[in-house]
Amino acid sequence: MGLVTDRLPRVVENIPGGSILITSLDAFINWARRNSLWPLAFGTKCCAIEMLMATGAPHQDLSRFGAEVARQSPRQADFMVVAGAIVKKMAPRLRMLYEQMAEPRYVIATGSCAISGGPFMYNSYTIVRGVDEVVPVDVYVPGCPPRPEAFFWGLMTLQRMIREGESIARPNIRRKPVMAALPQGIKPEDFREEVRRLLEAENEVNVDEAAASKIWLEKVDQWMAKHLIKP
Amino acid sequence: MDGEALNQAVIALEPAAAKREKADRPAVQVPPEKLAALALALRDEPALAFDLLLDHTAIDWIAEERFELVYVLYSTVHGHYLMVTTSVPRGAPVVPTVSAVWPIAHWQEREVFDLMGIQYDDHPDLRRLFLEDEWQGHPLRKDYKDDHMLGLPK
Amino acid sequence: MTVRVRTLDDICKPPVGAESSLDTQEYLVNMGPQHPIAHGSLRLILRLDGETVKEVTPAPGYVHRGIEKMCESLNYRQIIHLTDRMDYLSALMNNWLVSKTVEKAAGIAVNPRIETIRTLMAELQRLQSHVLWWGVLGMDLGAFTPFLYGFREREIIGALFEETIGARLTMNYIQPGGLMYDIHADFARKVKEVLAYLKPILVEYDTLLSGNVILQERLRNIGILDPKKAVALGCTGPVLRGSGVPYDLRKLEPYGVYDQAEFDVVVGTRGDCWDRYYVRIEEMRQSIRIIEQLVDNIPEGPYMVTKFAAKIKLPEGIYYGHIETARGVLGVTIVSDGKSDIPYRMHFRSPNFNNLWAVTALAPGWRIADLIAIQSSLDLVIPDIDR
Repeated sequence: MGLVTDRLPRVVENIPGGSILITSLDAFINWARRNSLWPLAFGTKCCAIEMLMATGAPHQDLSRFGAEVARQSPRQADFMVVAGAIVKKMAPRLRMLYEQMAEPRYVIATGSCAISGGPFMYNSYTIVRGVDEVVPVDVYVPGCPPRPEAFFWGLMTLQRMIREGESIARPNIRRKPVMAALPQGIKPEDFREEVRRLLEAENEVNVDEAAASKIWLEKVDQWMAKHLIKP
Repeated sequence: MDGEALNQAVIALEPAAAKREKADRPAVQVPPEKLAALALALRDEPALAFDLLLDHTAIDWIAEERFELVYVLYSTVHGHYLMVTTSVPRGAPVVPTVSAVWPIAHWQEREVFDLMGIQYDDHPDLRRLFLEDEWQGHPLRKDYKDDHMLGLPK
Repeated sequence: MTVRVRTLDDICKPPVGAESSLDTQEYLVNMGPQHPIAHGSLRLILRLDGETVKEVTPAPGYVHRGIEKMCESLNYRQIIHLTDRMDYLSALMNNWLVSKTVEKAAGIAVNPRIETIRTLMAELQRLQSHVLWWGVLGMDLGAFTPFLYGFREREIIGALFEETIGARLTMNYIQPGGLMYDIHADFARKVKEVLAYLKPILVEYDTLLSGNVILQERLRNIGILDPKKAVALGCTGPVLRGSGVPYDLRKLEPYGVYDQAEFDVVVGTRGDCWDRYYVRIEEMRQSIRIIEQLVDNIPEGPYMVTKFAAKIKLPEGIYYGHIETARGVLGVTIVSDGKSDIPYRMHFRSPNFNNLWAVTALAPGWRIADLIAIQSSLDLVIPDIDR
């Protein structure tokens, strides 16, 4: 495989018609890679139970994606699921594991602890606020812990990234499918129109009218009556 | 044994002990130098028989310039609980170890040393437990300053 | 001529002392924070002589997030959501611990409905946690199938939690003053369906794994912990009960409505891995028994007796409360200075922290594979060790 992906592109690119060969090779290689991603089981905390163990279990089956072979050794793994909080003591080990993985390697940061420090963001003296301070992350899956279905959405996003964004002509350069998270039936054009409409609509507001609106006053009075601590 | 009888029994064993007020279980406080002898007596005295050290922790009373160490004891024989507290000055927090009496104290004391900085005399292996060996400072102290910690937004 | 019958006792003696004629040298092996049976990120430094373990030094701290320091800037209701994340397999019991300690200290009395629902939830969570432990024990010892069976059951109980609480793992449900949400009208019926499903499953577990001769040889007479040593090492929970000491807080200091349910405290006789294993299997049966007695008579009443937004101030003092979680006694020491609704100091006595220390006394003399069996039988959850 190394012969094909390392040396072949440079040789083939210069031949007339070589780009067609590369595109077809890309399609085949990316298909093979994305349907057999082997995760590195790196779970430190609660997310490990949901993301690594429950997804491998019968109800939510990870082997539908070809990914149930969770390798314990980073040298045999394709992607690393960082499931759990990373603290300063663990960060060098995480980096070491990442560097031991063979290319192409991917990282999915699952759970809010891995994305930003999560519930431990404030007032913790050891937490690393986001695993992307240690390793480059490809996909973020938010949640605390995310549902296994959310993890599968992240995995499918990763698969789409591999399908559309990678080429053996440019190794280790990926195009991220930013619009991958759009719900069904919505196109990027609709999105732009909606955002524009919202921004324009809130451009002008009549302050006196808004302040004098009765519903606001009623709700505020109710809230103050309920929560204000009487001296 | 109920609360008052326990307090009396402990004070009878160690006259320097006194009742620790404002605790929800029977609690006594002793000066640190009497701690080791009292620990042995609490475990070996048949009427008390405190053989399980459930918990050991420390409180940083920074306003009063002292650390208060708390030991929560239980007796599997009689089924009663006791809290033993001792106070050491903040400037020189040295206290004798009880790991010879209750082996689990070996680890609990390491944790308190790591996070609070209290030195235990005669501890077999006093070094940091959770934090890296090169960590400066003891995080659970009230005056611990760390650039890495992010405070809650106002 | 006599024929000597080899019994299990004969082959399961620890190979203490290298009696071979080879000149061996001890070496250190690091079972680093990331390895298959880490159950989190546990680092063990083993001093080995060949394959015999001479000394085990646990080096924790790879998930130390400083929860106790964080508690000094959060009020009691906010701390509940942090307790979920310590021993996440007994999340509801952790919530209950802080709730009941705060309620007792602040003088808030809850009604029987709240107590009954809390007890039911805790026992369901105990079932869920033991089922996961069973699956993971099989997986650690090399049998992958129990893992799949265990998780199947876990999802079924988890579906119950999800309908009521909304969360699968980090519950944040039992609050000081009551519960976050009320149970729905079908709760009792669904619980009974789950119990009817689980009872034959436990028999299946016995057939599948407990009766397996390989498991028995790997667990019987391995890692024997005698009762006095277990108590001196601070072990609680099934580890202590496996050694024969009947210390179960649900019987000795009943909280919730445990005093209204009849159940047995399961103790082992010899203190080996098998006893710790089978104590948990029997505890699952006792949990089913408790739930059956309580689920039909949930009293009526409000599910929260205080307002959510009310500040809970504890009077000045030092309070210690504890609860029997699936792994042992989880305790909390709350020190309040009486001035605000934020604790001055909060310390958690975690069962896994104290149970882990037992591995240093249990493992020496056994082989590496036995060390795995011992560690699985201790049922550790690493974030609880590090807090």
